[in-house]
Amino acid sequence: MRDRKMKNQPASVQYSSPSAAAGSSSQNGRQEAKDSGWQRNPPPRTGWVRGNQRDGGGGYMKEMPKYITAGAFARSRAAEVKAMLKAVTKRTGSNHVFQALPKHMRRRAMSHNTKRLPRRLRDVASKMREKSLQAGSKKKKELPKSKSRKARRRHGNLLLEFNRRQRKNIWLETHIWHAKRFHMVKKWGYRLGDRPTCKCYRPCYRAMSSHCLLLDISYYCCIELQGEEDTLLTALSQLTSKETGPTFAAALCLSGCRQGSVTVYRAGQYPSHPLGPVTFLWRPRAEGSASRQLWIWAHPALKQDLLPELQRVCECFEAVVPPVIPVATPAESASTLESEPKPEVSPKAKVTPGGKRKRSRVDAGGPPAKKILGDGTRSPDTPVTWKSSSTGIVINDLTMEMVRYRLVGPQSHSVLTESLEAATDCDAGQSQASSLWWPQHCRDERKMNLHQQQAEVFKTLKGIYSSGEVPPGTVLGLTVDDPRLTLPAKKVKAMPSVNQSQEADEEKRRQLMLRGVPQLCSQSCLWEQSVRDNVTENKISEQELNRMRSELLIPGSRLSPTPLQGRIPILLVHQPGKQVGNDMSSWGAGWDLLLPKGWGMAFWVPLVYRGVRIAGLHMSLKRSQNQGAPHFPHDYPDCPAGVRFQEEQEAELLDKFKRRPPAKRTNYIKHGCLAPFRCPWQQLVEEWELLTRQRGDGLARSTTKPKEEEMTPQPDHTGTKPQSVFTVIRSRKSLRLLSAWCRLPTSRGQRPGRGGGAPPLQQSAADAFLASHRMSVAWVRLSLLSKGKPELHAMVCAPTPEDLKLLGKRDAGTCPQEPPHRDDFKSKTKRRKKGSKKGAGPLQSSDYPGTEASEPFVYAEPDLVLGVWPDPLPSITSHCSRVTLGWITEGDFSLSAGCGEALGFVSVGGLLNTLLSQPEEHRGKVLLRNPSSLHYRFAQINIEV
Amino acid sequence: MVRVKSRYLLCEVNVSESRDLLLLDDRAVAGAVRSAVARMHGDYGAALCSIRLSVKYLNVHNGMVFLRFPKSCYQLLWSALPFITNIESRGQQIPCFLNCLHVGGTIRTCQKFLIRYNTQQLQRILPKCKNAAEKDQVCQEILNCLPTRGSKPTYEGGSEFEDERE
Repeated sequence: MRDRKMKNQPASVQYSSPSAAAGSSSQNGRQEAKDSGWQRNPPPRTGWVRGNQRDGGGGYMKEMPKYITAGAFARSRAAEVKAMLKAVTKRTGSNHVFQALPKHMRRRAMSHNTKRLPRRLRDVASKMREKSLQAGSKKKKELPKSKSRKARRRHGNLLLEFNRRQRKNIWLETHIWHAKRFHMVKKWGYRLGDRPTCKCYRPCYRAMSSHCLLLDISYYCCIELQGEEDTLLTALSQLTSKETGPTFAAALCLSGCRQGSVTVYRAGQYPSHPLGPVTFLWRPRAEGSASRQLWIWAHPALKQDLLPELQRVCECFEAVVPPVIPVATPAESASTLESEPKPEVSPKAKVTPGGKRKRSRVDAGGPPAKKILGDGTRSPDTPVTWKSSSTGIVINDLTMEMVRYRLVGPQSHSVLTESLEAATDCDAGQSQASSLWWPQHCRDERKMNLHQQQAEVFKTLKGIYSSGEVPPGTVLGLTVDDPRLTLPAKKVKAMPSVNQSQEADEEKRRQLMLRGVPQLCSQSCLWEQSVRDNVTENKISEQELNRMRSELLIPGSRLSPTPLQGRIPILLVHQPGKQVGNDMSSWGAGWDLLLPKGWGMAFWVPLVYRGVRIAGLHMSLKRSQNQGAPHFPHDYPDCPAGVRFQEEQEAELLDKFKRRPPAKRTNYIKHGCLAPFRCPWQQLVEEWELLTRQRGDGLARSTTKPKEEEMTPQPDHTGTKPQSVFTVIRSRKSLRLLSAWCRLPTSRGQRPGRGGGAPPLQQSAADAFLASHRMSVAWVRLSLLSKGKPELHAMVCAPTPEDLKLLGKRDAGTCPQEPPHRDDFKSKTKRRKKGSKKGAGPLQSSDYPGTEASEPFVYAEPDLVLGVWPDPLPSITSHCSRVTLGWITEGDFSLSAGCGEALGFVSVGGLLNTLLSQPEEHRGKVLLRNPSSLHYRFAQINIEV
Repeated sequence: MVRVKSRYLLCEVNVSESRDLLLLDDRAVAGAVRSAVARMHGDYGAALCSIRLSVKYLNVHNGMVFLRFPKSCYQLLWSALPFITNIESRGQQIPCFLNCLHVGGTIRTCQKFLIRYNTQQLQRILPKCKNAAEKDQVCQEILNCLPTRGSKPTYEGGSEFEDERE
């Protein structure tokens, strides 16, 4: 600014002096000989330059003139005149033209409208204005000029843009639909809808409990295994254990008419190293063939651990590089199931199995951009098939090859029966060689019989009262018409049609409810890759369908005959609802709808038009919470995916915490909360392990709570102990025992047959139990007895006998309180902040609050966050006035129970210790305390098997 | 309107030998003024000098100086100027005196005065020229320093603006 102002001002004309180098204010070194003609005009850039600009280094003496002549005199005068003239005539400072005008001639908004200036100044002014506009838009000019909105929204360009955006994260087929209505999050390499933008928490809950809630869970990964039944079962048996429930070999599941679920462990390492829960589905046996097909559906966070493990147990290490030319994939050639004639793949279709499968358009002149179906992030030559030469098992990664929708709620079957219709068979007359699969399918009498049976079952399904009545895990295969054809003009709410019409129907319904779908009807053409591909490729586009509709004679009537392309094989898989506990049985039951890829939106919109609610990830979490089922990966802290999730969650929560100013944050140290963001399970079980061992050494055999000193573990003990990783108890027998011990003896609905078998809770039994489950935690459900809403990472604590007396008074308002803790770190954090400016060394502290423990505690930790304990945590169990047993992983006010409910883990040692010390009538009572509160709330512990 | 007001004195440094003039620089002049004021008016004067005294312009070829004084006390400071008898510059004492030609409220008025004064000087020198060559030269310079585009103010803009941007 100053430079610009001074650029026309004449500089001093003088010879530079060496002494003036130090900070001369307005020195302008110039070493020109007088004869050489001196500066007529001081150059505009060098005026009033600060500092010295010597180039020759003080050679002025040489160049100084010896005498002065009249000419020189005149020249110097003239030059000065010239310089001064320039200074006088040129405007300095601001370059606004109108400032040249005298004040009385100035007008408002002259710089906005040049017409307000006198005409002689307009040219200059408009030139200036252009300049300033350009200068203002300089940053924007760097960007490439984007196309007009119209051009951007043109179909081809839009597709290109979408394909570009799909390269990083996988999009589900309903992505665009969701992106318009949901908050989208990036998770597990997908872009998923988290929760709707509209306020619909309660409507969604209501839909789940009384109508139907729809979730797109196509992000679940399917892994296909093919091989001999025996070899498959022996390989898979290494991954599971019978103690946790039915395995892959469960008879009902093996027949193919039920879906099963198991918890998978690393090969042969049960009970440690769990991987996570999976569901699986066997293809029903085909006659005369020992080869079986198995689908394992796993959460995407689990897939990266599961797939290598499966490859190891099946010894499948030969990756089959997917061919680019459309030939039968190795998977198909290996499977011997293709006894039936295989429909030809249309030659136009470009099939690259597993990879980017692009829908080929019928017209070659279509836009070059093609819609990505399936996984857009994977390169087409990534192997998706592995086979083994020794065992003959083929593993196929079918991620994003199928669409999976989950309908939750008692009316989900009505929604399904209303929106889907069993496929109409085509006439025998149309026997021209078609590339479509359905006409060929129709020729086979046996298959048509099967189809009739399936359609019959599907019709019976309409008559049942609630989705929960069907046996859990039932599988029904079906072929349906294109649901777009029966799309209602308006959104309607699908209602059940229960009418006691005929005796025969009643009988069928009863059969369905008791036995499930007959084994034969679980077969579906969806299992065959060729059919799936065929259906995907020959889908009628929306545009084509609308054109056909517009050609109808009566507008709005149904398209008939149904186009041949519109027959889709689907699988309906029943999802069990709440299976554990006594109340709200089969809450949240529903159906899963499995479709070939590409048909996602074609089924989605008709389902939405039947009045279902749509929810995202958030609601699926709430669903499992209401259902009392662990949710992956939140409730699997011992699995690798769960560990990863915990780390992410901690970072996220800490980031959120740090975003607030320190004065507006919760000070968790003062609240006595050691781990508000992450639960140190390992430390918890180690401490409890130590405690129980100390007790076992014959120290205190009293039923009262051990003293504080005993509870404080010695850190050197924990250090020397061999590190063993904590586990979550999943063995059914142990859980049943624990459950019986936790239950109140007078608990309603307790079946005498079940609880009777368990030994009564005694010290010896507990010790025996503990011996087998040393380092474990148990997954429990807690329901609050009074008011209060449990939050994430709330502490589960053991009540003292005095607390229990408080409970006996039935005085609702009173609950025990935690005395506030002192925050000794506060001053240190502040001091450290100050010290860091000065560069001080690490501080030392010799005591920590809460525990009067012994060892000096040095922290040289880089980041101290005000209000959070620095990393080496002190003893967790004895930090507060009540002994900590565990933490909550999910907690909320439960709309179904009408009180606060929480799911969490407690240390088995701590739990048994507490149970033993409690009187009979208060069995299983614990205290819950939120991280940001000092109030303890009473809760009843439940372990449900 | 609202600004810090100053007085600008246009002074001429007169020396016996014109070569000495070339040794001058603005710091030396300012120092000389300061010391003279301190000598004449004591500490009070020295303090006044420290406010806003500065040498805005110095031409060593003809000894023109712009001095800036605060308006409130310029007369006091001005009164000390006649007592400057020599200026120390680059280790040499230059005997001289200052002759005040003009007192202005802005640099601009001083510059305008200087233009007029210089042209007068040139015109005065013309008849005194000794030989034809000198005469020619002076004539040439007189023509040179005539305002080329009239006295109308011109605006920076156009090409100059662009140069600066680069």
